[in-house]
Amino acid sequence: MILNMIKKQALLLFRNPMELLLLLGLPVILITILGNALGSLMDGGELDLTFKIAVVKHEAEAEQVERFKAGLEESGLPSSAINELLVTVENLQPVETFLEVLQSEELKDMIMLETVEPNRLDEIKNDESFAVIVEFPESFSYDFLSSMLLDEEPTPKALIHYKRGSEIAGNVVEQILTMYQEEFTVGAFLGKNGIDPEQLHQASTHFKQDVSSISPYHPVTAKAYYTIGMVVMNVLFLAATMANYAFQERNIHIFDRMILANISRWTYFVSVLLSGLLFALLQSLFVFAFAYFFFGVKWPDFAAFFVITVFFALAVGGISVLLTAISFKNGNEQITGFFSGIVVTIFAFLGGSFFPVGEGSFLQKLGNFTPNGAAMSAYLSIMRGEAITANLDHLVFIACFAFGAILIGAITFPKRGASS
Amino acid sequence: MTLDSSHPLDARLNWSHGGGNMIELIDITKKYKQTEAVKNFSMYIGRGEIVGLLGPNGAGKSTVISILSSLIEPTSGDVKFLNESIIKNPQPLRKIIGIVPQEIALYEDLSAEENMKFFGRIYHLKGAVLQKKIDEVLQQIGLMDRKKDLVKTFSGGMKRRLNIGVAMLHDPEILVMDEPTVGIDPQSRNYILQTVKRLNEERGMTVLYTSHYMEEVEYLCDRIYIMDQGNLIASGSKEEIKQILASENTILLKADYWNDEFLEKLQGIPQVQQMQVDEKEVTLVVSKEINIFSEVAHLADETNIQLRSVHIKQVTLEDVFLHLTGRALRD
Repeated sequence: MILNMIKKQALLLFRNPMELLLLLGLPVILITILGNALGSLMDGGELDLTFKIAVVKHEAEAEQVERFKAGLEESGLPSSAINELLVTVENLQPVETFLEVLQSEELKDMIMLETVEPNRLDEIKNDESFAVIVEFPESFSYDFLSSMLLDEEPTPKALIHYKRGSEIAGNVVEQILTMYQEEFTVGAFLGKNGIDPEQLHQASTHFKQDVSSISPYHPVTAKAYYTIGMVVMNVLFLAATMANYAFQERNIHIFDRMILANISRWTYFVSVLLSGLLFALLQSLFVFAFAYFFFGVKWPDFAAFFVITVFFALAVGGISVLLTAISFKNGNEQITGFFSGIVVTIFAFLGGSFFPVGEGSFLQKLGNFTPNGAAMSAYLSIMRGEAITANLDHLVFIACFAFGAILIGAITFPKRGASS
Repeated sequence: MTLDSSHPLDARLNWSHGGGNMIELIDITKKYKQTEAVKNFSMYIGRGEIVGLLGPNGAGKSTVISILSSLIEPTSGDVKFLNESIIKNPQPLRKIIGIVPQEIALYEDLSAEENMKFFGRIYHLKGAVLQKKIDEVLQQIGLMDRKKDLVKTFSGGMKRRLNIGVAMLHDPEILVMDEPTVGIDPQSRNYILQTVKRLNEERGMTVLYTSHYMEEVEYLCDRIYIMDQGNLIASGSKEEIKQILASENTILLKADYWNDEFLEKLQGIPQVQQMQVDEKEVTLVVSKEINIFSEVAHLADETNIQLRSVHIKQVTLEDVFLHLTGRALRD
């Protein structure tokens, strides 16, 4: 009997081109648009990120280092400590090192660096060709060494100016500066504790190579990200579609016909649940298959991917019966309209379907309490190469959500005919 | 036989003449939050009868049908099928009842045959038996040549016929039809009426037929219940109900137009018990002993109304309803 009902549902769905377009075509279109539009930002390399940076040094660094060394000699520190610090200082020239980084192999194709005299600062501020100006004030290196090695105030600040529309370039430079500030802090700590600065340099060189890939796992491309994002968002609409079909059956008394045929309301309930689950699974697999063939979105662990998809489809089945039960109870479709119009959008936003919410961020933690957000986190984790076992928390949440929805749906479902 | 809802016992006394009752509704009341949809309603349906349930829209007919078919529980009262209450055990009734809802309870995106297959299977029919039954019913409702077509391509009348056909798939003993001819062309309407008549005559099918078209109920039904605003206002055979107006005449006046002065003066004649005004017709219910022809003619002359005809009508159920409620069935 349930099979008969699912078959009927499949026929209805496949004969409704508008519904099919929304459920299958829309995610594909959105993946194409978002993957291409935002792909360059996320993937790196594809967007033309070549920009010109001006560096303005208000005082020569060598002079500042010499001044710091002279100060050390007169500081009254024990000579052994002074000697160790002098060795460390030889390898700590923050501005020069920063400039070397900007001209390194990794960044040289992206950044055109020009050192500019301080008296031309106002001039280059009006020069549209410079995306970013990095300004090292007087005594920057001296204060940097004093702060880092002797814990003295003030902590120096480099100024980064970026032109309107060059926010990405400004961001890149700022991140590089931040990264090197952290590196120098570690270096100074090691230096003060008598560790060979060469080792430090090697370590920092090694560290630099890892910077672009924060995680040790595979990076996720924009197309893969948005494939997942659009699938977990659009499959939620399927739950509303299933509930709409069910409400129509109630409204035109087809449900009553079933009840009069002595079909248990639980048979009907389970048929809605299984239809939701099955069609959510098929919808997800269709879009993922499309993404595989046309966008090259491949899964490192297919079994793990499939398990997540089944769990998420179960949650969609749960939402289908919950929406069906509430609309039957209320005698109107307001709940499905509210769900597809508002709840899906909020869930998609929290779950990270529209843009990456940031690993470990508050938004991501909140998003993980939505079925789509939890599924998205699990999918991304698998895509990065992590094991399914690392996602048990997400799977447990999705399962709990599904069973909660089914339980509330069962309690709410009318006990006799639709109109009782 | 007139029944007043405040005297439900009268109705029950009347049942004893029925004999072999299949279904009985006893003092049914259905209350929703704000409204009382059905008030102390009682009726019976004997085996092989065609029983009409007549009343305007909103009278409570559909609620009565839902209660009778076990889809909703009454607030008070009982429903019996072969002397057993169905309130707690509706299954025996459900096996032998076929419902034709007022709505087209079909899938528009499925073909006629696919719809029948789906609904046949929910009655546990399958394989060759189901196919044979589908063909038989499609033949009966005249849709055999359209069985592969999607329902959404059907006319309103064809949809109505299929709506009936689906309810007949499991060979029900009793067919409950809720306004089955609403919104269709006269040809389809006749086809449906003849089909119902044939099912009753050839197969002895018991039918409960609700409508607000009195002529349909008059044509089909052996006995009639008339409802208004949740109340049973009359019941009995056609002749019994028409006897309610035995002491009155229904007079039909025709003219090209009416004016307010004429209508006001007409209404003012003390012997006029009811008056119904349409664009070119006025229906008057007056006491049989009184001759008001001359008075009407005089009024028309006085108010410059050119009467085209004045005659005494055969009493119809519509007239009875007008007499009992002061309103027309289709108001």
